[in-house]
Amino acid sequence: MYILKNSVISIIRNKGRNILIGIIILVIACASTVTLAIRNTANRLVKNYQESHDIIATISFERKQLSEKFKGGEEAKKENIEAFNNIEALKIEDIKNYGDSKYLKGYYYIYTTSLNSDTLTKATDSYEYEVEDKQTTTSSSSKTTGGNSGRGRGPGPEGERHTITNNNTTTIITRTKETFQSSRNLTGDFEINGYSSYDAMTNFVNGTCKVIQGEMITDFNAYECVINSELATLNEISIGDKITLKSSSDVNKTYEFTVTGIYTDNSNTDDSQNMYSQSANKIITGSGVIDALVEQDSTLVTNITPSFIINSEEAIEKFTEEIKQKGLNEYYTINTNLEELQNATKSIENVKTFATMFLSITLIISSIVLFIVNVINIRERKYEIGVFRTIGVSKFKLTMQFILELLFITIIMLIMGTAVGSFLAKPIGNTLLQNEIEATQVEENKISDNFGKGPMNMQFETNVKIQSINTIDAVVDFIVIIQLFAIGVLLTLMSSLASMISIQRFTPLTILKERT
Amino acid sequence: MGILKLENVGYRYKDAPKDTYVFKNINYEFEEGKMYAIKGKSGSGKTTLLSLITGLEKCTEGKILYNEKELRKMNLDRYRNTDIGIVFQSYNLLPSLTALENIELSMNISKVKIKNKKQKALELMKRVGLSEEHSKRKILKLSGGEQQRIAIARSLSYNPKIIIADEPTGNLDKDTENEILKIFKYLSKQEKKCIIIVTHSQNVCNEVDIIYDLENI
Repeated sequence: MYILKNSVISIIRNKGRNILIGIIILVIACASTVTLAIRNTANRLVKNYQESHDIIATISFERKQLSEKFKGGEEAKKENIEAFNNIEALKIEDIKNYGDSKYLKGYYYIYTTSLNSDTLTKATDSYEYEVEDKQTTTSSSSKTTGGNSGRGRGPGPEGERHTITNNNTTTIITRTKETFQSSRNLTGDFEINGYSSYDAMTNFVNGTCKVIQGEMITDFNAYECVINSELATLNEISIGDKITLKSSSDVNKTYEFTVTGIYTDNSNTDDSQNMYSQSANKIITGSGVIDALVEQDSTLVTNITPSFIINSEEAIEKFTEEIKQKGLNEYYTINTNLEELQNATKSIENVKTFATMFLSITLIISSIVLFIVNVINIRERKYEIGVFRTIGVSKFKLTMQFILELLFITIIMLIMGTAVGSFLAKPIGNTLLQNEIEATQVEENKISDNFGKGPMNMQFETNVKIQSINTIDAVVDFIVIIQLFAIGVLLTLMSSLASMISIQRFTPLTILKERT
Repeated sequence: MGILKLENVGYRYKDAPKDTYVFKNINYEFEEGKMYAIKGKSGSGKTTLLSLITGLEKCTEGKILYNEKELRKMNLDRYRNTDIGIVFQSYNLLPSLTALENIELSMNISKVKIKNKKQKALELMKRVGLSEEHSKRKILKLSGGEQQRIAIARSLSYNPKIIIADEPTGNLDKDTENEILKIFKYLSKQEKKCIIIVTHSQNVCNEVDIIYDLENI
C-alpha cells in the first residue's frame, strides 16, 4: 500500500519531470487514439464490405481462343459459325456439378430461353427486313441467281412468292423474313429469364430493377412470371392475368403463365435511341420452369449464366482448377469481381495502411523517447533508490513503485489523449480518405487522358457495378480504448525497463558512497 | 547473551588479489542495552563492516548471527526494515519529502504494526530534540544536526533492537556531537537498544561501553 502512496507523493513532488513525461504520453495517446480509431473503423468497414459483397465467379466464353482459329473471307463465314456451334454449350448438369464444391458458399444461375406469343404484342420499334430470293428459268436451262444461302438452325417461315414471265424467261421472286444467326441466338420475341434463386436476381438486389406492382415469383417451378411495366402497359396486363406463350419452333406447344408482378428497369434511362428499354420483352420466372419447357421441347434454344459465390480469395484458383478438372471446355474462362471489390476498398485500405504505419512509427519513436527520459530520470533518482534499498525496500517493491508512477501518469494522459483524439479521429479520418480518393481519381483521369478523353470522360466498368467506400466515420469505441490501454501498459513496461535494470544492478552501498 | 555475533568474519573484494583481505577473523559480540564503538583509521574497513552487519554486503568468510540466525539465510530487506536501524554519516534522507514524511515512510516500509504513525513520528522527533515545526520542513531546509536527528528518529521509528550508526557525528560540531551521543546513550540505557557506532572519534569512544578496534585485527 505504501508503494502506491509513495508513487503518488513522488508524482506530486516531482512536477517538472512528470509534466514532461506526461506531455510525451499525451501526444502518444492522441496520435494512437486517432490512428487506432481510423484503423479499426477502416478494418470494420472493409470487413463489412467484404461480408456484404461476395466474390462472384462467372463462366464466360473465351472469344479470343475461338478467334485464333477463325479464317478470313466470305466462304469461311459458315465454317467459322459452324466451329462456334460445335463448341459444347454449358448445361444445367454442368453448373450443378461445378456448384458442388467445397470452395463455394453457393451458386445460382439464370436459365434463359425465348418464346413467342399470338396474344402478346412485342415491345419493339424495329422492322423485320425482307430477303428476296430470285430464281430465273429459261426454256432451255435453269439457273438461280441471288438468294440467301446462309441459314441458321430451324426452318424459316414461308415467304411471299411472285412469278414473272417474260418471253421464254420465268422469274420467281420469293420474299422471306429471315435472319441469319448463330445457333446460340434466342429466336423468340420474348426472352424468358429463369432464375434459380432470389440471389440470382442481381438487378433487383442492387436496385436497378424494382417490382412496382404485385410481387416477385415465389415458386421457382410454377408457371408464374413477372413482366416489364412497358410490356404490361402495351398489352394491358394486370396482376393475376394469364399470358400465353408458345414455342418459337413448335407453334403447337403453348404455355400459360400467371403474372404475379410488374417491374421497372431503371438501367440505361439515358438511352434515347430506342423507344422501349432493352428489358421490355424480358419475362422473369423460375429456372425450374425453363427446365420443364426444355423437357417438353428439346428444340428450344437456351443460355445459362451461372454465378458461383467463392468462399475466399484463396479459393478462386482452387475452384478454377477444380472445374477445369471436372471438364470445363477450354473455350470457357472463369472471371471474378475480385478486382472490382479490391478497387472499391482500395482507398480505405490505403488509409488503413497509412494509419498502421503512422501508429507503428509513433510508438517506436515515443518508446525510445520515453526510455531515454526514464534513463535520465533514473540517473537523477539513483540516490533515492539507494536510500530506499538501505532502509529495507525490496527490489521488487521499488521496481513496482517506479512502474506505478509511470503507469499513473500514463493512465491520466491516456484518458486525456483519448478524449482529445476522439474529437479529432473523425475529421482526420475523412480528410485522409478524401485525399486518397482524390489521388485515385487523379490517377484515373490520367488514364482517361491516355485514351484521348478529357478528365472524367472515361467510365470504367469496375467503378460502375460496385459502390466504393467514401466516408470513414472513425469512432473511439470500446475496442480502441482496450487497445489504447494495452499500448499504455506496454509503453510503461518498456520505458520502465531502464528503472527495472537499474534497480537490479545498483547496489545501495555503491550509490550512497558515490553520493558521499 | 549477544543479539548479534560475528564469527570469524572476513571480507575481500571480488577483484582483489588472493589472500588480500579488508579484514579477517573478526569475532565480535553485541548485546542489548550496551553501546559499542567500532574504531579504526580511514580505510581500515569500518564502513565495510557496517555494511556486513546491516546486510548491505555479504561477508566472504565466517558468519554473522542475529538472534542465533545466520544473516545470510534471512530476508535482508525485512531485517533492515524491522530489526536494525541504520544512521548514516550523510543522513541518507529523501530530500523530496518533509522530515515527518521521512520518518513515516520508514514506518510504512516496516512490517511492524504501528498505530497512529504521525503521532509516533512527532513523538520521536521530540525525543531527538526537534519540534513539531521542524516536521513540516523539507530535508534540505534543516541543518546538518537536525538532519542527523531526523535520521536517528527514522531509525527508531519501527523500534528495532539494534541501531547502527556510521560516523554519526562526523559532520557535526562539538555541541551537536554531544547532544547526539546523549540520545544514543539514552537509547541504550533506557530503552535497552544495542547501539553500534562506527567512528574514528576519540570523543565518541569515550562515551561507549565497549570499543572494538579494527586496527588490532
